[in-house]
Amino acid sequence: MEWATEVLSYFTSDFLWAGAVLAVKITVVSMVIGLTFGLVLALMRMSEYRPIAGVAWVYIWVMRGTPLLLQLVFIFDALPLVGLKFDSFTTAVIGFSLNQAAFSAEILRGGILSVSPQQAVAASSLGMGPMLTLRRIVLPQAMRAILPALANDTIGMLKMTSVASVIFVNELTFRAQQIVGENFKFFTVFAGAGLIYLLLTSIISIVQMTLERSLDPDRRQQAGPRGRLGFGRRGQVALPVATAGPARKASRVETVRELIPAASATSSDQPFLQCTNVWKAYGERDVLKGISFDVKPGEVVAVIGPSGSGKSTLLRLVNHLESIDQGEIRVGGRYVGYVKENGHLKPISGRARARAEVGVSMVFQSFNLFANLTALENIMEAPVRVHGVPKAEAEALARRLLAAVGLSSHADHLPQHLSGGQQQRVAIARALAVKPRLMLFDEPTSALDPELVGEVLSVMRALAEAGMTMVIVTHEIRFAREVADRVVFFDDGNIVEEGAPADVLDRPKMERTRQFLSAISNESDDEEVA
Amino acid sequence: MRSSVLSLAIAASIALASAPVLADAPKCEPEKVAEKYPELAGKTLLMGADGQTPPYAYLDSKTNTLVGSDIDLAKKVFDCIGVKYEIRPAAWSGIFPAVVAGQMDLMFYIYYNAKRVQQADFVVYMKAGTGAITQKGNPKNIKSNDDLCGKTVAVGLGTVEEAQMKELGGKCVAAGKETVTVMTYPDHAAGFRLVANKRADVMLTDLALVDRTVADNPDVYVRAYGIISGFQIGAAVKKGNKVLADALLDGLKAVQASGGEQEVFKKYGVDPALELPAELKTN
Repeated sequence: MEWATEVLSYFTSDFLWAGAVLAVKITVVSMVIGLTFGLVLALMRMSEYRPIAGVAWVYIWVMRGTPLLLQLVFIFDALPLVGLKFDSFTTAVIGFSLNQAAFSAEILRGGILSVSPQQAVAASSLGMGPMLTLRRIVLPQAMRAILPALANDTIGMLKMTSVASVIFVNELTFRAQQIVGENFKFFTVFAGAGLIYLLLTSIISIVQMTLERSLDPDRRQQAGPRGRLGFGRRGQVALPVATAGPARKASRVETVRELIPAASATSSDQPFLQCTNVWKAYGERDVLKGISFDVKPGEVVAVIGPSGSGKSTLLRLVNHLESIDQGEIRVGGRYVGYVKENGHLKPISGRARARAEVGVSMVFQSFNLFANLTALENIMEAPVRVHGVPKAEAEALARRLLAAVGLSSHADHLPQHLSGGQQQRVAIARALAVKPRLMLFDEPTSALDPELVGEVLSVMRALAEAGMTMVIVTHEIRFAREVADRVVFFDDGNIVEEGAPADVLDRPKMERTRQFLSAISNESDDEEVA
Repeated sequence: MRSSVLSLAIAASIALASAPVLADAPKCEPEKVAEKYPELAGKTLLMGADGQTPPYAYLDSKTNTLVGSDIDLAKKVFDCIGVKYEIRPAAWSGIFPAVVAGQMDLMFYIYYNAKRVQQADFVVYMKAGTGAITQKGNPKNIKSNDDLCGKTVAVGLGTVEEAQMKELGGKCVAAGKETVTVMTYPDHAAGFRLVANKRADVMLTDLALVDRTVADNPDVYVRAYGIISGFQIGAAVKKGNKVLADALLDGLKAVQASGGEQEVFKKYGVDPALELPAELKTN
């Protein structure tokens, strides 16, 4: 057992531990700098602007492709020639940080790409800027994919600091080698040093585990009032379902009316949304061919037409999720994220802010609730982060909106635990929370099971009755007939026909409209038969 | 206070009076550092050392500081010059580049050769001997460099032995024999492990290191052969750092004159015959 005592004596050696502390210091500092720089690189890599993406690509290519040892010696011994002289520790930190940046850039990029782009689109439609979206929505979801790889890198770096012995960094492995160089007791010395490494890497593994748990939205939810690592929040409060029974519909309309801005505040003769000669092409294909189209305050417009006719594109142009090629769109008399120059609209930065100011909200076919946030948090996010509403006030509003869509008891549920219809109702509540003056619905019921369509349509009906200005792209002809003030039929990038529902849907003037409507009704007949 | 002033005055006057006569036998005059080497006064010299080269430089297990013949000799020289110093350990391959780059002021114990002297200035102070260490009982019966064809030879990465063995390999092939398989190791301990584990037949390194290792581990190793290689070993400073090179030269001469180098060599079991009169080499 003599060897065991010896291993233990090396494991507890102050000399070796001093080296371990140095290794930990280098690792921690380099990891922090490397991650920060890595995030910048990852964003550069994903930039639409080619030269920026290129610079990041070249950096990553060089740093990943050359040995760390070489980089360290270069920084330590070659840079002094141009007057940059760093001490050993600084050199190690620079070398490891620059290297780690390249590796973590790719890990972070992978993580960010693993999050559905629709999450960012939804955030953007709520007026959240790119950095806010990244910090609040994308990264929290990406972190679960990122963390295990980063823990690997951290452990790898801790052990790899021994490479720095060529630049006079006297860390753990190198100290162990020096002891061996004197007494040649390889096994006991390296076993002692190995135990120190094992202890340190175990700590990293535990930190990884704790972080992973805290990032798991399900666990976070179970953590209840105390939460973990400061992610905690108030526990579930089972509120009584405010709206139930026969009084439901009327009270819902009332509630919604209270919650939305008065529609007729502006002169109702003036259109709220004005689209003039809008052109949009994807590559060679013209999707919208000079559409002109107005919506008055308080008006509900149903847009119908075959798939690919440009209906959804029009909605995305209205709140500038995509840029317009020609023509102009004004909402409340303003351009959303454009300035007019020489008769043309030029996109400017800060369109998220412009969207928030103009007051356009969007509801998507695929709901696009933020997967890392509960129903309540989904609704509170934009008011708190974009409009600076105090948390308590935002929460009160969010709870009232949830009640209005009949989901009070689901406030603390994650999207993944809600049905499609429930998710879409939360999405509508979320869109309402920013007090929009215009709501855009992009086929809000197309992704739903038939039996869930009704609950969403009834919420939309209540909105319409409360006087909200709405543009609804839909295939629900019956709903359009019931709710819309006006129906617009799109085909092949053009408005073929528009007018009162009774005219367009029941007495269409155009042959193309008739064809479409009969195809649709056949389809629904088929469904009913089946 | 008065006595030190007095002794300073006496020393100064003696130095003044005797300087022309004793020009070839420099003395240690640490108190005159500001006068003799103004650039060095108050400076802390940084010396890089590989702590895995016993008996020249290795870790003292009691104090966890570097000791060894080169460390002791360097300290004597620094004390003689009258400068402060700090000795920092690093992996062998990183030390010379650091001296060339000016990250370290100097290193002791590096073989002087035509290629290295283009990058740094040398003050040589000892002759080199190469030792060949093999497994106990010398199973491959290696007696000289001539027996190395067809063998696996461990040499330090970037050492003169590495270059020699690559050259020897070519000669073996030219003579119709098998070439030399050269294995390089990053530190001596790793080299010794190659021999102990029979991954290498023989390891070529410094003679004193070989002797000491064999003496410490008689059950594992034996010395196959030893040769005085004719190489000179010195201290290296950044090319053109004349002040430091001169100071080292004076210091080494003075330490040698007073028998200090002999004393250090004996203490660490280095053959005193390896002492070489200090000389500055700049090309």
